[in-house]
This record gives sequence, structure tokens and C-alpha cells, in this order.
Amino acid sequence: MDTDAETTAGVFMPLSAETGAPCELAMQELFLLGKVLPVGAQLLVRHTFRSAEKGPVEVVYSFALPRDAALRRFRVTGKGFSIHSELRALKEAQELYEKGIEGGHLSVLTRQYGDGLVNLNLGNLRPGEEVTVYLEILAGVELRDTGLRFRFPFTLAPSYHAKAKAIEVEPGQGEIELPGEEFGDIILPRWVEDSQSLHRVGFDLKVSMPGGIAEVASPSHPLRVRNKDDSSTQVSLATAGDLPNRDLVLDVRARGALSETFAGVGKDGKGRFAVVVSSDKFGKTTQAPRRVVFVLDRSGSMEGVPIQQALRSVDACLGALSSDDEFGIVAFDDKVALFQTAMVRGDAEARQRAKQFLTGISARGGTELLAGLLEAHRLLAGHGGDVFLVTDGQVFGTEQIIQRLKAGGIRIHCLGIGSASQDRFLSLLARESGGVSRFLTPRERVDIAAVELFSSAGRPLASDLRVEPKGLPRAGILPSPPGAVFQDNPLVVFGATQGEGEGSLEISWHAGQDSKTLSIPIHVGEDGPAGMLRLLQGSRIVTDLETQLGGHGEGAAEKRMESRVARALEKASFEYGLACSLTALVAVLQREGDRPGELPKTRVVPVGMPQDVRFLSYFAVARGVVACELARASDIADREPYSVETSLSPLLARRARRLSNEDVLLELATQLEPDGGLPGGTEEERVIGSLAMLLLLLSEGHTPQQGAFALHVQRILSYLESVGMSWADQDQRKMIDEALCAAKQGRPVEGDWLSLACAYRKNGKITSKRLWKELRAAAEP
Amino acid sequence: MAEDLNSEIKLSELSTQAGVPPRTIRLYISRGLLAGPLRGGRGAVYGKEHLETLHKIRDLQAKGLTLKEIAHVLAGEGPPEGLPEPAAWWSYRLAPDVFVWVRGDVSPWRSRQIRGALARMTAEISPDEEEEGNDGHRR
Repeated sequence: MDTDAETTAGVFMPLSAETGAPCELAMQELFLLGKVLPVGAQLLVRHTFRSAEKGPVEVVYSFALPRDAALRRFRVTGKGFSIHSELRALKEAQELYEKGIEGGHLSVLTRQYGDGLVNLNLGNLRPGEEVTVYLEILAGVELRDTGLRFRFPFTLAPSYHAKAKAIEVEPGQGEIELPGEEFGDIILPRWVEDSQSLHRVGFDLKVSMPGGIAEVASPSHPLRVRNKDDSSTQVSLATAGDLPNRDLVLDVRARGALSETFAGVGKDGKGRFAVVVSSDKFGKTTQAPRRVVFVLDRSGSMEGVPIQQALRSVDACLGALSSDDEFGIVAFDDKVALFQTAMVRGDAEARQRAKQFLTGISARGGTELLAGLLEAHRLLAGHGGDVFLVTDGQVFGTEQIIQRLKAGGIRIHCLGIGSASQDRFLSLLARESGGVSRFLTPRERVDIAAVELFSSAGRPLASDLRVEPKGLPRAGILPSPPGAVFQDNPLVVFGATQGEGEGSLEISWHAGQDSKTLSIPIHVGEDGPAGMLRLLQGSRIVTDLETQLGGHGEGAAEKRMESRVARALEKASFEYGLACSLTALVAVLQREGDRPGELPKTRVVPVGMPQDVRFLSYFAVARGVVACELARASDIADREPYSVETSLSPLLARRARRLSNEDVLLELATQLEPDGGLPGGTEEERVIGSLAMLLLLLSEGHTPQQGAFALHVQRILSYLESVGMSWADQDQRKMIDEALCAAKQGRPVEGDWLSLACAYRKNGKITSKRLWKELRAAAEP
Repeated sequence: MAEDLNSEIKLSELSTQAGVPPRTIRLYISRGLLAGPLRGGRGAVYGKEHLETLHKIRDLQAKGLTLKEIAHVLAGEGPPEGLPEPAAWWSYRLAPDVFVWVRGDVSPWRSRQIRGALARMTAEISPDEEEEGNDGHRR
């Protein structure tokens, strides 16, 4: 790892908001270092612990793993020492740690639990001592044809479980306790509403894309970007430090479609490769009819901006349905509500009624995600179809949910909305069920992303996908590639071979009735990131097996299966040198002055309540003794009330009043009639309105082949080509034909189409004179 | 003497007998749910009362109490029974200066009735919003 970066990156000091004096925290700082590639990231997380106690302390820090992540190792440094972790079987590691604690030695243990939660334990930190733990993590990225999204959790999302107990223990501080029989001895942190007084976070990452980087941006943090060369960039936090109340989200846009091959030979003499194939290599999306059930999370944690965003997203997707499609809507909290008890045709009337159904939805209650998804499964009634899930994913016990749904055989596409990541869960749920996922922050344009994701739901570009290595000695592919490829979701394949060599990856698939093939050349040479590829491949394998471990079957056959998975997981863990829930990383250091038998005080590091999640949505219904305290009138009067209906931030509220181009397009998109045209009193009015919308779509970069509204462009084009235009004179027909020709080529036509579209939005029609005037002006040389 | 040996046990033995991991026992001690060892330092030992308290904690957890509530019970501050039932309330922001709290467990028809009334009230008391442009859009 980049040891220079370890020493040069900034060090922060959290200060008390009241006095400005340094805070006496067990954990002072969390700093993220490492490198990000299109096939994954190799990260080094620096945790700085300092004790202000009079006796020894045992610090417990809980965190969530990013998607497809595994812990590799850690290094502990302090005054005059530096020790490395060992990977051991869980029981052995725990015994070593406990023995170390009892002997008064500095002891460190990282243990992974279900849901990708990890407890980092640092025992016998001495009074006044500062110790740093560098933890190496391998993680996946969310890949698209045009680039990647990297997400790292700086806080932990509080989540729902039917048997969990959530309570406000101090004003503005909440705790969640999980049932031990299901979740073991995991220690969850205390969630703090105001994260100002917590440890500081920061990052300094190297981002590389062999094909070149066009742009790096973040919807979550201010960035400082230093270009190293065309294909790599150093990205760090622009401010001196930040709060642990949201994920780091990095968007990296590539120059051109992302198709890359990474390969190299490792120290073990084995060749490793990872191939990224952009989805456009598999063809274009068709307009085949589809059956889709929208599953909408309306639990209390979605309250505020997330539920508004979720509702807008489903509303926007409804506009992309045609009358040949069938759809259903399921809204769930701890109860399930249905739009209709059966699937309905996507005609204008049904879509209108669905919109009405959405207006009655507000956030409340728990997150019985499984119940919502099972209801969707019932609606699809074994006739095939896709589920489009919109959620923050804030649930515990995710492995069981994934296994139950995998057995049900429904394909789930996930649109995650949240500032603290459940990206790991949703990406696994989508992958295991054969779907795709996106995870956005509530402050982004979620509805456009929803339309984009929805356009691929139910319409894979490639089915029955087969991938085989050819020409490389003893080559194998692992983990198994997905069975289908969807628009804007590249195929990623990991593999290994015996040393250097030249060969190819032979890909075959079905597109409708046609069989197709593709050959990708692979050159495995001496140079290349073989070590990193091996670890990323291992972390994918370990993550997949981890998910299968949560089946909790009761029968003998299920138990045998679970036992087989456990053996495979432990074997993979040691083979790749990556920790899992059956193994753990441990280190013990004997030092002079150790005081055996002295009991360290346990200090659990608190985390910030995720930005955009209301503290009271988890900790409002206080129970027992605390309920009494909360019920005091003075407490309620002092507490700033929260809003269900109108809680948009001032910025978003302003946006809601001032419509953007995307707002206009979304609104018009939802009005499209089953034949693909906008409504109107006469055929002429319909054509004029539809043409203005088509030209606006083109000017915004949406073509029949690309953009969130690609399907809408196709539908309007199809309408305009089929409709009779006896009312138009020769000159007008010519202008329409030229506009349609431009649309088919994806070529924008100059003109103020936004004004025309807005006029249609406002009045339900446009004066045709304005359209002809703009088209004539555009035709002038 | 034999009795003393039986009643004084090490943390690892306490953990085995109670079925509670040592780390969790240390957490309970730090949070004041469980007393510290009978003898500190090298050879720290725990007694029968530690085992009993751990069993009590487990029983109270099974009854649905949180550690915070259990701490109250163990400290003799009275069980939570007899306290008023908690109620969830929804908060609606009708205007920047007006908030209304509505009990969360009202029946659906009553909820609709209240929401309708709140919507009318919102319309009546809302300050004039910033006017949109002619087309209601931003360029």
C-alpha cells in the first residue's frame, strides 16, 4: 500500500462545539487512503485512537463494509512499536484476543458479523496513549458503461429488525440492540444526532482508469483533484476535515465506453485477469412488453427527502410504461399496501390511478422489506417479470432476506436512496436475483436515475450468458458471471490462469431469438496489478459465499448445504488471505509495564446519525423509563419538530418551485398516451406537442439509443411516424420529416424547445405558429 | 475453602457458565449493569452474584427491556411496569412557523379527516411563495 500517503495525509483534531477545546474521544480520526480501479478498490483505513482515561480502555468501533468488501489485514502502530495482524479461525482469534486482554497486553481483533458489520476491538489502550490501526480493505465499485461510482461508509446506517430494540438513551443519542440468538455478540454504536463533536473523517485516494478520466465529482463531499496523468488522478477532501454522518461518494467518468482488460502475473506465479465489457457490445434495448412490480419502501427511515425522491422516481417510471406492459405497485412499511391486487395494463387510465395511489403514501413504521418483496412475487404469480425496488435498504438480517428471495426466483432491480450506505446489501440482492442496482444520495436527481435504471428492467440485452477462457493455460473463471447483461451495466469477469500467456474470453448469449458471440483478447504479461486482482477476486468470492451462509434452513438438507458453504467460505478466506465471518484478524503485543488482570473499561465509539435520516424516525417511540422522560411537556417543547409532508430542505423546496428542464421532461413523460404521443384536443395539437417534446429531449442529449429518456424518444418517434398528417401542408410536412430524420440520428435541432414544452405543460397545447417559426429558423443556413 | 473456590471464578469461567462472551461482560461492567470483579488486578475473580446478575440481565432482555432499562431495574429504581404506554406522534410542518402534532395510531378514516383539515389550513396560512417565471421553469 501507499506508505507515503499514510504519513503525509492530514491529521485532524475534533473540537468541542461549545468550548472549542479538543474533545476527549476514544477515536480521534478516520482517514481513508488507497486506490480505485474500475474493477474494485484497495483501501487502507487509518483509525487513530487516543485514551484520556485513567485506566486501560477497550475501544469498540463498529462499521459497515462497502459492497463486495473483505478485510485483508491490519497494522497497529504506537510509540516504539508496530505489529501486524494474523488471520485465524474465529474461535482461535477470539481466544488469543481474550488471553491478550487478560494478560494486560495491547490486543486488537476485527470480527465480521452478518450484514457486513464489523467490530474493531482495541483492548488495553493505556492512559494518555495514542495508537493507530491501519486496516486494509478490498472493495467493489458500482460500474456503468461511462464510469464508476465508489462509495465508502463513514458512518453506519441504523436499520430495522422486527426484534430490534431502539431507544433514545440520552437527548439526541440513540441505541439499537439486536437479538443475541440471531446476531451474536455484536456491539452496535450509539447514534448521535449532532455529529459535530465526533471524530473527524477524511480521504486521499488515487483513481485510475486506463482509458482516461474525463471527470471526477462527488455529490457527498467537497473534492480536491490533482491530475497525475491522463489515466490517474489523486482525489482528496478539500476541507480540513469532515463529519462522520454520511458516505463518501465518488463519481468517476471515463473517456468513452468502459471496456478494459486488467491482467498480470503474481508472486505465486499465477496469472490473474479481470475483464470489463461495456453493455453496448451486447446490442440495444428492445421495446418488448414487460411485467414489472414497483416495490416502494415507505418506512419511517425514508421520511423527509428520501420518500419524496422515491415517490418522484416511481411516478417518473410510470411514464415510461406502455399499454403493452403490465405493472403493479406494492408499498410497505411494517404493513403492505397494494395499488391493485393483480397486475394491470400500463394504459393512461391505470397510470393515472397509480399516481393517485402514490399521492396517499407517506413514510411511517418499520421496514418489512421481505414482506413487500414476497407480495410482489405473489403479484407476478409465476408468470415471470421484474421487481423494481426503491428503498434505503435499512434493514438488519439481510442474508436471510436474500436467500428467501433467491429461492423465489424473482429478478430484483434496486434503486437505493440514502446518505449512509446499504449499498452492500442492495448490490448483493440485485446480483443474487439476476438484476442490477444503483445507490444514490437523497440530494441527487434520483428520478432521472430511476428512469434510466427502469428502462433496462425486464429487457436484458443478453440472456443465457456463457463466458469461457480460450488459449490461456489452465484458465478458469471465478466467481460465476451473471446470466444476463442490462443496458449501461458492463459485464465484469474475474479469472486466473497458469502464468503468462495470450488468449481470449469467448462470450456467447441470446438476444431474443438470436444467438450471438464476442471474443475479447487477453494478454497476461509480467506487469500488471496481479496482486490486487487476486484480492478483488477473492473478496467477491468471499462476499458471495457469506451471503449463502445466511440461509438458516431448518431441515437436514439445508443444514448440510449450510455446512458445505461454511467449509467453502473458510477455505476461500485462508486461500485469499481475507477475513470473513468464520475467521478474524488478531494481533497481541506484550509490552513492558503490562498489568495482567486489570479490567479495561469498554468504550464504544459513537457514530453520526446519517444525514437525511431523521433521528426520531428510529428513536422517536421511546419506551419504559425513557418514555416518561420524553413525555414531559418541556422536552417536547424544546425539541424541534420534524415534518412528514413538507420537510424538503430550503434548497430542494426552491427547486420544487422553479422547474428545471428535467422536471419539465419528467412531467411530460408521465403524460404520454399508450400510442406514444402527448394528449391533445385534435390530432394536430397532439403532433405539435409531441414534436416539441421530442425536440426538447434531443436538445438535452436523449436519443433513441442513449440517455435516461431513450425509451420515450423511441415511443414519440414511433407515434409521429405512424400518425396521419392530412392537416399539414407540404412545407410543414417537410419540416416534420426533417425533424424526425434528425431524431433518428440522435442529432439535436437548434431552437427554444423548452419554452414550447413549458407552454404545452401549462396550457395542454401549443400554438403551431411558434413551432413552425422555430423549425424554419433552425433550417436557415 | 472449597466453597470459596467454587464461588470465585475467573472471567472466562463466568463467561462459559453464563453463556455471555467476556467482551460483553466487560461492556456490562463499564455500563454499570454488573459490578466489577471481587478482586481486581492479577487473578481478578467474580462471584455467584455476578452469575445471577448475568442471568437476570438475560431474562430481562428476553422480556424486551433494553440495557438502559435493565440498568434502571438493577439499580432498584423500579421496573418500567406501571409507566404510561408510549405513543407515536406525527409532526406536520404546515408553515415555517406552524407545526402540528397528530397521534400516530388514529384510525385511517380519522387520519384522512385530519390530513384534509391540515391541507386546508396549510393553504390558508401559507405565506406567498416566490412567483414562478411565465413558464414556471428555470432556464
